[in-house]
Amino acid sequence: MSNRIMIVDDNEYVRGSVDIICESAELDLTSAASGAECLERLESGFRGVILMDIMMPEMDGWYTIREIVSRGLYPGNIIVMLTGMGEPDCKMEGLQEYVSDYMTKPFGPDQLIESLQYYLTLLSTVRNHE
Amino acid sequence: MSRNNLVVIGVSTGGPLTLKALFAGLPPLNAAFLVVLHITPQMDYRIAQGLAGVASMPVVLAQDGQYLRRGNIYLAPGGFHLKLDGNQRVVLCEGARVNYVQPAVDVTMLSLTRQLSGAMIGIVLTGMGKDGAEGIRHIKQMGGVTMAQDQQSSTIYGMPKAAVQTGAVDFVLPPNRIAGKLVELLEAIT
Repeated sequence: MSNRIMIVDDNEYVRGSVDIICESAELDLTSAASGAECLERLESGFRGVILMDIMMPEMDGWYTIREIVSRGLYPGNIIVMLTGMGEPDCKMEGLQEYVSDYMTKPFGPDQLIESLQYYLTLLSTVRNHE
Repeated sequence: MSRNNLVVIGVSTGGPLTLKALFAGLPPLNAAFLVVLHITPQMDYRIAQGLAGVASMPVVLAQDGQYLRRGNIYLAPGGFHLKLDGNQRVVLCEGARVNYVQPAVDVTMLSLTRQLSGAMIGIVLTGMGKDGAEGIRHIKQMGGVTMAQDQQSSTIYGMPKAAVQTGAVDFVLPPNRIAGKLVELLEAIT
């Protein structure tokens, strides 16, 4: 069972903002500045709610999710996309089942905390045979 | 109204919180609710349990061969398409993705036939893509009532927009008003 959050964003300001919000709600946050760092954290055992920026250099959010899935690292995680844009483009096709939510920056602290707490509740639920 | 009322809801990204808001506002109603959310097998049970925590009606993962009963909410499991035989019996099918997803809303809605008695209601909520649009058109052709989530309240307006663009949607509403419309259309179970 996990109660952790990971922010994946190349923008230090966004990572810092999410850090402050999570700290105020006593949520355990880890930060990754790139898709590659996100994968490293997952390979090291992170499981929880992943807040994933879409527009990142080298490995964007969609590519990172495809890597998460292909490496078998998705189970036990919930993925929420973060974007400064409007609605997603066709890069999301085929990934709908893995993306639980889609939040447009800037987002309010209350909205983020409420969403994260619900997703953490979902992750804390396990089947008897899990 | 007859006891064979059926409500089929299609939803994708933004779905967990939208479904939570919708079902938290619904009293027990005289209909079977079938939810098709684009979801993986790793998450389906968790979503069902999350909904069960807020809904006034029991929530279960739909099982192959199961008959839908009024006053219950069924979530289509991940990894399968779900069809309804005779609008009542669950048939889980393997096979290719439809609209890039599995379960696909269109597969479920297109399996419906004209209700001999009772109401049939189709709803498309937030999500990327166009899954559910053909299904909504079909439900309208089968004499059903159709709804789509409005743009302002949608996390992603793709699926509701595609449904609305078919011209077959009766009501375009936010989740709380969809709940109100369902209460208006269906009898409460006391």
